[in-house]
Amino acid sequence: MDAPHRPVLVALGSEARALRLIQAGYRLARERSAPWIAVHVETGGHPTEDSEQVQVWLQEAQRLGAEIRVIQAPTLAHGLAELTRRTHAQVLLLGRSRDRWPWARVGHSTANELLRRGLDTFIEVVDERLDHSRTQAFHGSGFGAMVGTLCVLAASSGLAWLVPHEGNLALVLPVYLAAVTFIAHRWGQGLAVLASVLSTLFFSFLLETPRFSRGAAPWPNLLFFLAMLLAAQAVMGLLHRLRQQAREVQRREVHTASLYLLGRALARCHGIDQVGVIAAEHIRRVFKVEACLLFPAQGDWKAAPPPPLDPGLPPPPELLPQLEVGERLGDPLEPLAIGRTYCLSLSGTDRSEGVLQILPRDGAGLPSETWELLKAFAVQIALALERLRWLEEARKAQVENETERMRSTLLGAIGHDLRTPLAAIHGAAGTLLLPSEVSESTRRDLLSMIQDESERLAHLLGDLLDLTRLESGAIHVQKEWQPLEEVVGSALGRLEKRQGPLPLQVDLPETLPLVPLDAALIEQLLVNLLTNAQRHAPGQAMDLRAWEEPGQVVVEVADRGPGIPEGYEERIFDKFFRLPEAGEGGVGLGLAICRAIVQAHGGAIRAENRSGGGSSFRVALPLDGVPPLPPESAEGAS
Amino acid sequence: MSQPLILIIEDEAPLRRFLIPTLSGHHYQVLSAATAHEGLAMARTHNPDLILLDLGLPDLDGMTVLKELRTWSRKPIVILSARVQERDKVQALDQGADDYLAKPFGAAELLARLRVALRHTLQTDMAEPVISGGGLRIDLERRAITVNGQAVKLTALEYRLLEALVRRQGKVATHGQLLAEVWGPGGAGNTHYLRIYMAMLRKKLETDPTRPKHFITEPNVGYRFNLEAPGEG
Repeated sequence: MDAPHRPVLVALGSEARALRLIQAGYRLARERSAPWIAVHVETGGHPTEDSEQVQVWLQEAQRLGAEIRVIQAPTLAHGLAELTRRTHAQVLLLGRSRDRWPWARVGHSTANELLRRGLDTFIEVVDERLDHSRTQAFHGSGFGAMVGTLCVLAASSGLAWLVPHEGNLALVLPVYLAAVTFIAHRWGQGLAVLASVLSTLFFSFLLETPRFSRGAAPWPNLLFFLAMLLAAQAVMGLLHRLRQQAREVQRREVHTASLYLLGRALARCHGIDQVGVIAAEHIRRVFKVEACLLFPAQGDWKAAPPPPLDPGLPPPPELLPQLEVGERLGDPLEPLAIGRTYCLSLSGTDRSEGVLQILPRDGAGLPSETWELLKAFAVQIALALERLRWLEEARKAQVENETERMRSTLLGAIGHDLRTPLAAIHGAAGTLLLPSEVSESTRRDLLSMIQDESERLAHLLGDLLDLTRLESGAIHVQKEWQPLEEVVGSALGRLEKRQGPLPLQVDLPETLPLVPLDAALIEQLLVNLLTNAQRHAPGQAMDLRAWEEPGQVVVEVADRGPGIPEGYEERIFDKFFRLPEAGEGGVGLGLAICRAIVQAHGGAIRAENRSGGGSSFRVALPLDGVPPLPPESAEGAS
Repeated sequence: MSQPLILIIEDEAPLRRFLIPTLSGHHYQVLSAATAHEGLAMARTHNPDLILLDLGLPDLDGMTVLKELRTWSRKPIVILSARVQERDKVQALDQGADDYLAKPFGAAELLARLRVALRHTLQTDMAEPVISGGGLRIDLERRAITVNGQAVKLTALEYRLLEALVRRQGKVATHGQLLAEVWGPGGAGNTHYLRIYMAMLRKKLETDPTRPKHFITEPNVGYRFNLEAPGEG
């Protein structure tokens, strides 16, 4: 396989730093313009809390264009090796081994094992410190720790016993110090204190022995004991601080990652309801609490989905005025406790957008650092809501502009297109009524003009009415499954009755399925499309074809006229839009009606230029719903 | 009855002004009413041969007038409907109206519909057992059908559908009416059956099924069977 096509493989676990791994994988894949695969290897059969986190990472990777794989394997290395081989991956990115035991980390790390398995893939280990939670997991002072402590002390006593220079206590002390320090680091303070006591005892015992009793000054046991304790304390303090720092860094990382994910998810929301769902989901995952958004609505509170929290304790309505005038709710720095729930104001730039209500799962409060993050969440949510509100306002303004523009266009069109035929009819009727001599042929001319112009007026009014009703949703689309042939037949009948045979080639395959459509509307659509084709390519051959595509049937009306000028493919469907060079007739409603009809059917219409000249209009009608059963063939019974 | 009497129930004065001279000029006697109540009273006293009924009357719903008329009269009723009354139109046909004319309509179309509607009253049930025109010849008695001289075989259901359409020759038959007649009361709602069988009939009896001359579709309403090519006549 070509190197550029060999994918980059990224192995993901649940740790917070997987985000870095994902980003590294994404960058590497982009650098090498190779596809990339994010894989999670499930080694145990039981889903854990982590699996949720893994899903988040996988989704994140997918967003960045990764292919997602979750595989089952006895060990991480096993699964990765297998997949690397199968996909011919060029690079495998791993976090630093998550193996639990230090000796495993030395000899059996996943990377090493993979290398032993003879992979020809480049393996890159992205530096990642061990998850703190995992190191803590074996800090407990269980039986094992006790035994370990005793073993270490015994070993150090043995070492002290072997001190070559007789009676040199200066050498014995560091041995015990080292032992106690190690125990403190390994098993915690409790055992360290125990170790100091024990080592003092051992030490006294050593002093009693003949090896040391002679020549050495009797060191006070107490001093020794104090030294041990101090050492243990110092080590513990140091370790504690280090750990706290590590935990803080870790926590910040998690916070940053979760805020980042929330912000991005919110940025993609299109509605308040969506914000509600996403906010509740993220808060539940990160804080393990239930959450919902509340908005003031006509003197009461309205909850965004998911449904309001179970104890159903909305904030008291007396808080509403504050919210409505945009004042911040209560003390902006302190959550407001109501019943078992807490409320956080969602304060945006200029006003409060609503309230975030939190229900801790066990009914207990939340630690202060959690509140900090929760407040950061609330700000993100408030900004998202504010963005939506502004968008909505902008949209409203746009609609108003559009309506205004439409109104003036409509007035213009009515002014021109309705008045012209009316003027002609009025004039012709006046002439006919004059008591002067009018030749028979002129009389007939005037009369047929009256007829033509009134027909045009009726047509225009009908179109206007249809469009208005379609756009306002006043027309209820009566979809019925039927053969396309029938609608084509009635459309052609209507056109040919009006203007004689059309130069039209119809090609409807026998295998075409029934299509759910409103016959009257689709007939109108076809009549409009054919009339449009005729207008732009008068007297030239037209084609009407249809074919089935997955989930839809496509109808095409094509002509050999001048085609559509570039850039007008969308605009020709606008109301009252006429191509600049279009000649007589047409007020620019026909195609707008077509689009409205197709949209009412849940389909799509597209115009494009045909290869070889001319234009083509394609209408895709969805085959939605359950097609009806064909009639039973057992009609002999009837 | 040399000059059939036609009652126009229509509230729009311009339409009455157009209808009355047009019909009188074509050898019909004409009565007109501007409201539903007036129209119903005139129908009772004069018993016209045909009623032109506008569906949008100011004082009473056109559908109510139709039902009321149908309680005692079997004379043809032709509905005048505006564009926005699509559903009412079908309902009116199912309620016993004979045909409809969508506004705006021309004089030729109006006269053609009136002729068809009146012919049906004059020669009530099946008059001619053999009808022919436009290359199609149907012998209902012997169940023999030819297209351009070629014998065509129809299945039993296709034949029943053809029969139902032919009986209403020139008039519109709604989906509901055809379904009830051909498939029985259980057929209601299976409009797609009807459409499939119509497609089969067209395939067998029309020269170009996409440009039907005999089996005309009235979208969302039903079908109309014409022997001759549908024209202004």
